[in-house]
Amino acid sequence: MNVQVKIGDQVFDVEVGDLSARPILATIAGETFEVWPEEAAAAAPVEAVQPAGQRAVAPVAATPAAVPAPALVQRTAPVVARDSKSKVMLAPIPGAIVSLAVKPGDKVAKGQELLALEAMKMKNAIRATRDGVIAAVHVNVGDLVQKGHPLVEYTD
Amino acid sequence: MDFTQLIQDITVGLRSFTWANALMLVIGGVLIFLAVVKEYEPVLLLPIGFGCIMANLGMSYETGMMKVIYDAGITTEIFPLLIFIGVGAMIDFRPLLAMPHMVILGAAGQFGIYATLILATLLGFNLNQAASIGVIGAIDGPTSIFVASKLAPEMLGPIAVAAYSYMSLIPIIQPPIMRIMTTRKERLTRMDYAPKPVSTTAVIAFPIIVTIAVSLVAPSAAPLIATLMLGNLLKECGVVDRLSKSAQNEIINIATLFLGLAIGSTMTAENFVNLQTAAVLALGLLAFVLDTVAGLSFGKLMYMVTGGKINPLIGACGISAFPMAGRLSARMALEEDYDNFILMHAMGSNTAGQLGSVVAGGLLIALVAGFAL
Repeated sequence: MNVQVKIGDQVFDVEVGDLSARPILATIAGETFEVWPEEAAAAAPVEAVQPAGQRAVAPVAATPAAVPAPALVQRTAPVVARDSKSKVMLAPIPGAIVSLAVKPGDKVAKGQELLALEAMKMKNAIRATRDGVIAAVHVNVGDLVQKGHPLVEYTD
Repeated sequence: MDFTQLIQDITVGLRSFTWANALMLVIGGVLIFLAVVKEYEPVLLLPIGFGCIMANLGMSYETGMMKVIYDAGITTEIFPLLIFIGVGAMIDFRPLLAMPHMVILGAAGQFGIYATLILATLLGFNLNQAASIGVIGAIDGPTSIFVASKLAPEMLGPIAVAAYSYMSLIPIIQPPIMRIMTTRKERLTRMDYAPKPVSTTAVIAFPIIVTIAVSLVAPSAAPLIATLMLGNLLKECGVVDRLSKSAQNEIINIATLFLGLAIGSTMTAENFVNLQTAAVLALGLLAFVLDTVAGLSFGKLMYMVTGGKINPLIGACGISAFPMAGRLSARMALEEDYDNFILMHAMGSNTAGQLGSVVAGGLLIALVAGFAL
C-alpha cells in the first residue's frame, strides 16, 4: 500500500507493508524502516523509526489512520523496548546500584534512564519502559540487589 | 693509542644500526601510540612497544638484562602462569555454574583455532608454528604466549602482538560479524536470568574439581588451568582476601610488565621484519573471525533447537577474551532493545570460552607432541 506523508513542506511517498505484522515495514526512497506502533490506543503515536539504513531520518508516520507526531528514536540509545504496563520496575539482573537518576515525584518518559546497575563490572542503564510519574525509589546507591528486586515504582 | 680504533669503538652503536632497526623503532612507537592515545590494551602494548625499541638498540633478549628477564619468565613459562593467577582471581564462574549448558558455546568458540591450524600448515608453516598461530583465534593472550613459548618461541613477538592488539579491537571486529550472522529478530531474543542459586560449596569446589579433571584429561593444559583455578579459589574461598587482592593487583601487574618487556625484546629487526610476521598477523585475524563465526553459528543452532529461547549473540563470546567479549555481546543486545539484559548469559558463555581456550591450548600441545612421535 502506498501512502503520501507530508511533514512540513516535504511530501514523502511511503510504501507500507503488512499492517498486521510487527514490525511494520515502511519503504521510503528505497530505504526500509521498521516501525513499532504502540498497541495500547488505536491511533497512538507511531514509535521508533530505525535500522535497515542506520541513517537518522525525519520522522515518518506509517499507518494510514493519520497518525499524530511520531517520536524519533536516536541511534545511540535504545531502539525498541516493549511497552510495559507494570507499576513496579524490577531488577533484570543481579548487581549493585551505582547511581540514581530519578526521585519520587519525577515525571519520566519511556526510554529515560532511571538508575545505573553494575553487574559483572559492567554499568547497565536501567531505563523506563513506559511514561509515568515516579512514586517511590526502593533502592539506594551502593545497594546489592538480586534479580527481581523492586527498583522503582510508578504512581499509577 | 690507535685513533681509528677509538672511532670504531665510539661509533659501534651507530654502525650496527640498520634501516630495519629504524623501522622497528617506528613499530615500537606505533605500539606505544596505540597504548597511550587509543588506550588499546595499554598495560601490555606499552611495555611491548618499549621492549621493542630497546631490542633494536642492542638490548634484545639475547643479552644482558633482557636475557635475564626472558629466561626467567618466558623460557620457564612462568609469566603467563602468574598472569593467570590474577585472571582467575577476577573471574566469577557463578553465571556458568548456574547455566552449565553454556559450556557448549565455550567449546564451539574454539573451532577457528583448528581451522586456522590446517590452513597455516597448508601455507607452509610447520605444525608447531601452525598450532601457535591458531591459538591467537581465542584471543586469550596468556594461553597464546604459553603455547607459543612451548612450540614456536621464534614467533612469540608477532603472536603476542596479534593476540593483544586483536583483543583491543574486539569492539571493532566482532560487531559487523554479529550483525551479518544474526537477524534482528534473533538479537531481540530475551532470556530470563532465573538461575538456581549457586551454593558457596559449589563455588569453592568448582576450581578444585576443574583442576583435577582437566589435568587428567589434558595434562599439557594443567599448569594453565591450575593457576587460573588457584586464583579463582583465592577469591571465592573468602578467607585469604589479602592473597586474592595481591593476585588481582601486584602479581598480575608485575608479571604483565615484565612479560610485555620480554615479548618486546624478541622483536628485533631480524626476527620481525619478514613475510612470516605479516602471515602470522593475517592468519591470527582469520582465526579470530572464524572463532567468532563458529560461536555465533552454534548460538544460532541453540536458538533453533530451543525454539528461540537462546539469544545467538552470546555465541560470539564463546571465544576467550574475558570479559571484553561478554560485555560486547550484552551491549549489542542493549543497542537493539534497552530493556534486554543478556549480560549474565553472555558472561556464562564467556567464562566457558576462557576455560575452552585453555583446554584447547593444552590439547594442541598434546596433539603436536603426538604427531612429532
